[in-house]
Amino acid sequence: METEIAGALAEDTILADDLIRQLMSVGEVDLLVGITSPSNAPATSHACRAIEQCFQQRFTRQRAAIVIVCGQDAAGGDASAPASAEPAERDGHSGGALRTVQRVTADFPVPPSPGQALRTLLTAADLLRAKACAMLAPGSSELTPERVASLLQPVFHDKFDFVAPLYTRHKFQGLLARTLLYPMSRALFCSGIRELYSDEWAFSGRLAAACLAQDVWHEESIQARPEAWMAITAIARELRLCQTFLGPKLPPPAGSATDIVEVFRETVGNLFWCMESRRSTWANCQGTDLAQTFGQAQELTSEPSDLDPQRIREMFRNGVAELGSILSSILDPETYAQITSIVECTEGSCRFRPELWVRALYDFASSYHHSVINRDHLVQALVPLYRGMTYSYLMEHSQSTAEEMEAANESLCAEFARQKPYLTEKWNAKLEVKS
Amino acid sequence: MREAILQGLEQAYGNLVHMIADFLPRFLVMLIIIVVGLLVAFLLKYILRVVLNLTRLDRVSEQAGATGILRMANVSSMTALITHSIFWLTWIGFILLGFSILGVASLQGQIARVLQFLPEVFVAILILFVGLVTANFISRTALLAAVNAGYRSARILSWSIRSLIWVLTISMTLEELGVARQTVISAFSIIFGALMFGLALAFGLGGQDLARKALERHLGDAPQKEKEKEPQPL
Repeated sequence: METEIAGALAEDTILADDLIRQLMSVGEVDLLVGITSPSNAPATSHACRAIEQCFQQRFTRQRAAIVIVCGQDAAGGDASAPASAEPAERDGHSGGALRTVQRVTADFPVPPSPGQALRTLLTAADLLRAKACAMLAPGSSELTPERVASLLQPVFHDKFDFVAPLYTRHKFQGLLARTLLYPMSRALFCSGIRELYSDEWAFSGRLAAACLAQDVWHEESIQARPEAWMAITAIARELRLCQTFLGPKLPPPAGSATDIVEVFRETVGNLFWCMESRRSTWANCQGTDLAQTFGQAQELTSEPSDLDPQRIREMFRNGVAELGSILSSILDPETYAQITSIVECTEGSCRFRPELWVRALYDFASSYHHSVINRDHLVQALVPLYRGMTYSYLMEHSQSTAEEMEAANESLCAEFARQKPYLTEKWNAKLEVKS
Repeated sequence: MREAILQGLEQAYGNLVHMIADFLPRFLVMLIIIVVGLLVAFLLKYILRVVLNLTRLDRVSEQAGATGILRMANVSSMTALITHSIFWLTWIGFILLGFSILGVASLQGQIARVLQFLPEVFVAILILFVGLVTANFISRTALLAAVNAGYRSARILSWSIRSLIWVLTISMTLEELGVARQTVISAFSIIFGALMFGLALAFGLGGQDLARKALERHLGDAPQKEKEKEPQPL
């Protein structure tokens, strides 16, 4: 085994010598879990223990390893400490694992990007011939052995190639995923994966090898958010995708709310980039292959929230007014006229109808393809329109039940599918120079 | 008397023939150089257009916002600007070379000065163009950032940034051309200094409350609170 690994490593590899030595001492594995370790070492230790408990309780006979991908944080602290932490105590009730869980640490001089972390895990998975792998980010969710098992089991036992998570969440949280990323990716790539952008997902060794072989790792979109591209690669290769229910999605800790522009860059920019690089995949697919779901379907809760719809509406109105020249160069004249008419409507009567929202998004996607303006600017210019859609959604569904919201979401998905020919037409049209 | 007149006429005729015989070949050489220059300029323009189309320069220019500026000057694309510039520069170079063959002493001095001045004109055009593109790009970046952060009057901020870069670019261009160098530098320093001083006074004295609120907004926890009033996107 060591000779084979050494032979494979004779070729060019991205792995550091120290990591290669650690991997060679591990040998082949069945299960491999990667965790990115931010400066929060306690969270990483907790995650390692949860993963080890999962192996001890659910995969007693399988060979397993954990790869901790970490880097020196800005303060100069090293997050690699968990690798040397005490392993989880064996659970007497489950009988205990028959094999030792190995911990491997991939140290980077600076905190690695998600793309770098994934590439490291894929390379390790390829070397160790792992059958099922998972990528986790401690802190993004309350990591329990059951959650880890829910991600790994569909790959290891049911031979799926990509497993996306499903969560319970507040009905007004995750609106970008529900109004844009999910319906658009479903219409385009014909796959009903709801959480295409998530911090935890699982995949097969086969998919890992296929992704590793692609020359895309230098791309900014992949560096920031590689998971959707991985799912789309699985779709393009006609591999099997599913989703698994993991429980509640944790809200971000107080004082660390996400920057919406950064989220747009990482997700919407990434989706547009995937459309550009996977043109043949979305152009040739029709209908929707609803992905198999393990556990219950997505659950919505409706506790009171402290959202400020008026502030969101104000930002939408201000954004459309101030960005007039940019939006008019991106959008079709008719779409732009309709959006400006919404801006002028009275409070409470503003509705971003699904057909207008879909049309605007397809205009943005085709303008991204034609590089009408700088692509980063183009993605940023979508934020005010999303705020308009959010306001409309909050007003429309303030009293809606989960079933009614699900029905509305299905109708939005259908609208995306109905207007797909419009996107194709705009995409294929020659760039018209606007004066 | 008659003989003297005839001799004078003969001499004048001889001089004329001599001058024509001397001038005509030079004139023909000048015409040949101009025609050859025209052909070379056309050839360069064609080769350059092919190369620039291969490098997709127009797409990059469109992304950077440079094409919008060119359209204001009635130029369709970046490729058109570069190919036309190279064509005219090449041909003008050949035309001047042709004129220098004529050997007109007063013309030669002027031609030498024009030839010396050409690189400076070229650099000045380059500075102007890069400055305008940069102004456009940075002002758009500022506009988008301000709008998405929820600031009012984002366009005024964007316009101010653009104007500032334009002033800087124009003064650099004029300095490169050597036009009233001292005046330009002094004018720029005065305008820039006055602008900054005026803004500092307006912001710090006239708008103390606004300054305090802005600093609190930037350095306090207000941005986080603002973000928390929006739904989590993912």
